Amino acid sequence: MIREISYSLSELTIDVKYLSSMLGFPEGDLPEPFGEYVAQAIQEAESLCDIRGAFCVSENCKFSTNNNHILVEGLEFGVGKTVAKELRNATSVAFFICTAGERISSRSQELLSGDDPVLGYVFDLLGSIIVESATDLLQADIQRMAFSEGLQITNRYSPGYCKWNVADQHKLFSFFPTNCCGIRLTDSALMHPIKSVSGIIGLGADVSFRDYTCDLCNQVDCFQRSHRRTI
Amino acid sequence: MNELLTKLAECVEFGKINLASPYPPQMKGQEGADEITRQALEEGINPQDILSLGLMPGMERIGVKFRENKVFVPQVLMSAKAMSTAMIHLKPHFLSGAAKQKGTFIIGTVLGDLHDIGKNLVAMMVEGNGYKVIDLGTDVGSDKFIAALKENPGAVVGLSALLTTTMASMEKITKEIKDALPEALVTIGGAPVNKEFCSKIGADNYSPDPQGVVEFLNTKIA
Repeated sequence: MIREISYSLSELTIDVKYLSSMLGFPEGDLPEPFGEYVAQAIQEAESLCDIRGAFCVSENCKFSTNNNHILVEGLEFGVGKTVAKELRNATSVAFFICTAGERISSRSQELLSGDDPVLGYVFDLLGSIIVESATDLLQADIQRMAFSEGLQITNRYSPGYCKWNVADQHKLFSFFPTNCCGIRLTDSALMHPIKSVSGIIGLGADVSFRDYTCDLCNQVDCFQRSHRRTI
Repeated sequence: MNELLTKLAECVEFGKINLASPYPPQMKGQEGADEITRQALEEGINPQDILSLGLMPGMERIGVKFRENKVFVPQVLMSAKAMSTAMIHLKPHFLSGAAKQKGTFIIGTVLGDLHDIGKNLVAMMVEGNGYKVIDLGTDVGSDKFIAALKENPGAVVGLSALLTTTMASMEKITKEIKDALPEALVTIGGAPVNKEFCSKIGADNYSPDPQGVVEFLNTKIA
């Protein structure tokens, strides 16, 4: 069964200090006019966002003997050694997708290539923060469901990270109806709207959640890694 | 050097777009790249000198500061905006042949990757240093790079990627470009790649920052 959820911007945690640090400036040291840009983007985002997420759970999952693959409903996912290791004690998996919507991305693109690239950049970062924050809520929903059944969850993992081939997006999206949450895939497995996230979470009595997962991944310039470095 | 060109370089370095722009705070109320470029042209300063002695030094300075982590992306974008505002006045002179760009740079984010902030920064910095830039966008395959190279003989190609999984795409595109046009030069950049990867895939240059791309182009086609 697929569960689809909408979120409003006010439900999310948008940390302005974090956004400032993403812009590169030390915390509390955002020179003008960049503070005004941040305020303007947050204000406009309210009407630009269409924040939606969905997840589904499958108990039909197996792990291959070479530890690089998992099988869900007969579909093989080449998640790579690192993710497979984190998931191997799971008894079920949840696939999820989440998006901030099309308009915040198109607004960012329009500004970046037009009159106000700085504001466009702020929207780009804000879009990333919004979709990650919405995915935190989606993950919390999955966690509540798991807890109610006496299960734990793993961290979330996405195609494109930790050597999980992004081409597996097509298999992941086959678990959802076409255009679910307004997200579609390109032939090269990229999501539109751009500010979208997809992935997998393992559920089971013997899985664990790690507070820090960046050491698992070799993506040195990742959004999440830079976030954790600043907190 | 002409005082106007010195001021113009400062406007680009500090991102002062025009008189109305409040940024940077220390230049509030002063004329920006827009007014000074117009004034320079009205005073008869050669458009080539405006580009080479005014705009480009400013862009080079901000590029070096960015490399040294003394400024951040928003400040580079302000500088690029000041530069592009000035370029609007110079464009007719490029078209007429009164001023020339150094060469052509073709850039795109490789197939399988939609990230373009880094690519855009490189494009802005390269353009600001006197090159014509053809930006093919994101999720670009080898066919488009090769077609653009055939239309612009002697151009250099820049490949950008953010995802580790698109490194394979970068390798394939580099190989296909080299197979089709062995003389073509390819420079690569992006978070997951490095000098070793550059050598492995047969690319000609790796730069960890936009200024490095400018320096590579200056040694190869300027």
